[in-house]
Amino acid sequence: MLSYVVAGLALGAIYAIAAASLVVTHVSSGVFNFAFGAMAFAVARFYYFLHIEQGWPLPLAAVVAIGLFGPALGVLLYAVLFRHLRQRSPLVKIAATIGLSVALPPLVNLALGQLVNVTAPGLAPQPVAVYRPFGTVVDANQLITYAGLALVLLVGTALLRFTDTGLRVRALVDSPALTAMSGVSPARVSLGVWAFSALLAGLAGVLVAPTAGLSVEGMTFLMAAAFAAVVAARLRSLPTAVGVALAMGVVTSVIQRYLDPESALSAQIVPSVPFLFMLAFLLAHALRGRAGDAPTGGVLDRAIRTESGTAPTATTGSGYVAPLLTIAVVACLPLILDDFWTGLVATGIALATALLSCTLVTGEGGMIWLCQITFAGLGALFAADLATNSGWPPLAAVLVSAVCVVPVGVVLGLLTIRLGNLYVALVTLTFGLLAQNLIFMRDRFYNSGQGIYMPRPEWALDNRTFAFLSLAVFCALGVFAVNLRRSTAGLAVTAVRWSETGSRTLGLGVVPVKVLVSAVATFVAAVGGGFLALAYQSALPDSFSPFTGLVWLAVLVTVGARPVVGALVAGLAFAVLPSVFQTYLPTRWAEVPVIMFGFGAVMLARDPEGVLAMHARQLRTVSGWLRTRRTPAADKPSAPTPQGELV
Amino acid sequence: MTVTTSPLLTVQDLTVRYGTAQALSDVTFSVAPNTALAVLGANGAGKSTLARALSGLVPPVSGSVVLDGDDLTGRPPESIRRAGVLHLPEGRGVFPSLTVMENLRMATTGDRRGRPAAVDRAFTVFPALRDRQRQQAGTLSGGEQQMLSLARALMIDPRLVIADELSLGLAPKMVDVVFESLRRARAAGVAVIMIEQFATRALNFADDCLILQRGRAAWSGPATEAGPELLHRYLGS
Repeated sequence: MLSYVVAGLALGAIYAIAAASLVVTHVSSGVFNFAFGAMAFAVARFYYFLHIEQGWPLPLAAVVAIGLFGPALGVLLYAVLFRHLRQRSPLVKIAATIGLSVALPPLVNLALGQLVNVTAPGLAPQPVAVYRPFGTVVDANQLITYAGLALVLLVGTALLRFTDTGLRVRALVDSPALTAMSGVSPARVSLGVWAFSALLAGLAGVLVAPTAGLSVEGMTFLMAAAFAAVVAARLRSLPTAVGVALAMGVVTSVIQRYLDPESALSAQIVPSVPFLFMLAFLLAHALRGRAGDAPTGGVLDRAIRTESGTAPTATTGSGYVAPLLTIAVVACLPLILDDFWTGLVATGIALATALLSCTLVTGEGGMIWLCQITFAGLGALFAADLATNSGWPPLAAVLVSAVCVVPVGVVLGLLTIRLGNLYVALVTLTFGLLAQNLIFMRDRFYNSGQGIYMPRPEWALDNRTFAFLSLAVFCALGVFAVNLRRSTAGLAVTAVRWSETGSRTLGLGVVPVKVLVSAVATFVAAVGGGFLALAYQSALPDSFSPFTGLVWLAVLVTVGARPVVGALVAGLAFAVLPSVFQTYLPTRWAEVPVIMFGFGAVMLARDPEGVLAMHARQLRTVSGWLRTRRTPAADKPSAPTPQGELV
Repeated sequence: MTVTTSPLLTVQDLTVRYGTAQALSDVTFSVAPNTALAVLGANGAGKSTLARALSGLVPPVSGSVVLDGDDLTGRPPESIRRAGVLHLPEGRGVFPSLTVMENLRMATTGDRRGRPAAVDRAFTVFPALRDRQRQQAGTLSGGEQQMLSLARALMIDPRLVIADELSLGLAPKMVDVVFESLRRARAAGVAVIMIEQFATRALNFADDCLILQRGRAAWSGPATEAGPELLHRYLGS
């Protein structure tokens, strides 16, 4: 029993370091760092590079990687990204850090090489010494982990409580404006916080590598588990975060004592423990009504914040030419491309349908849901199950399973209705991870990674016909989305997105509006998932992992989360670009598209409307400029369109 | 205006926008050393915006702010603070989760050697704060929070204090304390820009007066000339 606790405490200590770092950066800079896992991976990989690949002695490699490279990475990321995020909308904050988490690991792999073997040493010298106090087993890595947490807590508390630097950080949490007016530069304080946070990320990454493996998945999972502790701490309280993180580690470890290690159930339950924790705390917070958006900064900060987006840019009626042209071009692709590329285009169009659900729920409804991919996965698996195991016609199976998934989305919508934006994002991500662990991994669906066979309809067996079928479905749903946007219900959705309080005073029910959006979006996602299964001719649970969903969202917001045709472009880019790189460029460049998607999302920090809107604006400026040149008598050139944020 | 020496603060054609809304347009005035300027105006006239633009919290669109030959236009708030302009914001200008002592420490981050003397001075002026130095500022009463805010101005030697509606929502006795404190600052040679709802008291305190109306300077001149009729015309009271 004691040995389980000992192992659990080591895991919990790593969670605690991660959670502490997440809380500190969130309260001091208003940014919840979804890229924590990616940063941890970058530092751990660099440590591996120095220590194993370059043969540097362990202490030197550790100091250089964790103590120098980590903070330098934090400073760099602050300069290019986090600095711009403070005043942005929650969606842009989340999307940009997700973009970073998508782009950073492949970038590191590109620079340092992909690791085949993910076993990595920790900070203990090899071979790892093992001690046996009180009849239990402790290895040196675990001891170093305890010491690491103790050191972080001691130094962190001392810094925050007793030094001027800590005082400045705490003042910044209270009010950035007042801090600046006291003669302290908030930018410099934030810079320090991000450097320290990156140091902690590196420490957590190096410490977790021996047990979880030096892989992006392992690090991202570490981050997602640490979210649970952060949620328990209501994103603010450091002691709670650390305490819950330790408890989570111990529970995860101790529970294994009571589970049969051979059973499939325990393989599903053990990784789900942090997410069950998070669910419990979220429900507790939500029931007590304490999970709203915490106001950032003080009264003064809110008073001087310029409300960008008071003049929303026209998204409807801004012309039908560009969308129709895009659809026409896509419709021509299956006619001119060979079978392989047509298949990819068909996949892209199917994916576009799934992305359309993100357009609806996030772009239109203003709710940051990170689980659309899970709805798509559910739709795909149920449809394949119906088609293969019950002999239903494939299209009917897709439609019926989509209808069956809708209640799940509605319940999730109802549960999250009173939560703040960040909590909604975290709950939906957790839901996705839980569904992944508890549903997708079931043998009935998983089938050793092969998924369930999904036949296409008899008359759409070839890729070309299927591409046209998917495009027709996408267009039908797209027209529906556009009409919904212009209907009275759509106006209500827009009103709720701009101001919930304002909508309530108009007598608009926020609940029915949000339920409508979540129902429609869930349906669309599930249909998209079904078509993805049809495209692959198999419902593959692995292709519906929530982390892939983050890449989906990164691609979509990069292109533009509001225009319907943005989903089409994003879907095609996601499906086709990687193959273009694989086919025509050296293999080590295969990950470049992912890096591009990620950086696209990072760029949102500068231009929150996405690439489409940016280019549209540039085109308008150019055409306006040409017009004024042609008629010199015309009055001064039109001012650039005011920037409106997405949400 | 009573310009006898070269002015301490010169504001020329200051224009500020919040998004598309014009908050201040072409405001011009100056403050001589060791004088007080009362800024009056109805709700939404741009008084607080003026204070925020002077301290760098909101960037001006055009115009210039010059403090004793030093161009402050467009500089960040921390740099303007270090140049000697102290803005006591409307509402409670304290860090609510820091203790009283920590708030005073934050006020003296620029000068750590002078800190013990400065803190001592704050406690001499406001003895009530000494008893509460370990209490969180957010748990103080409104008057005590305002004392703490004022202490930040009195414990150091700024060149210009911008006091934005410091008497708002305070008991009459505390309003007296506010005016008394600002008088003390003036006696120490500090120039004061006072934004105030009690127009008459502010005029009695100040040397000059600037009346804002819809973001524009509607009237400016010596405080003694701002009679009841003028106030009635611009402030409606």
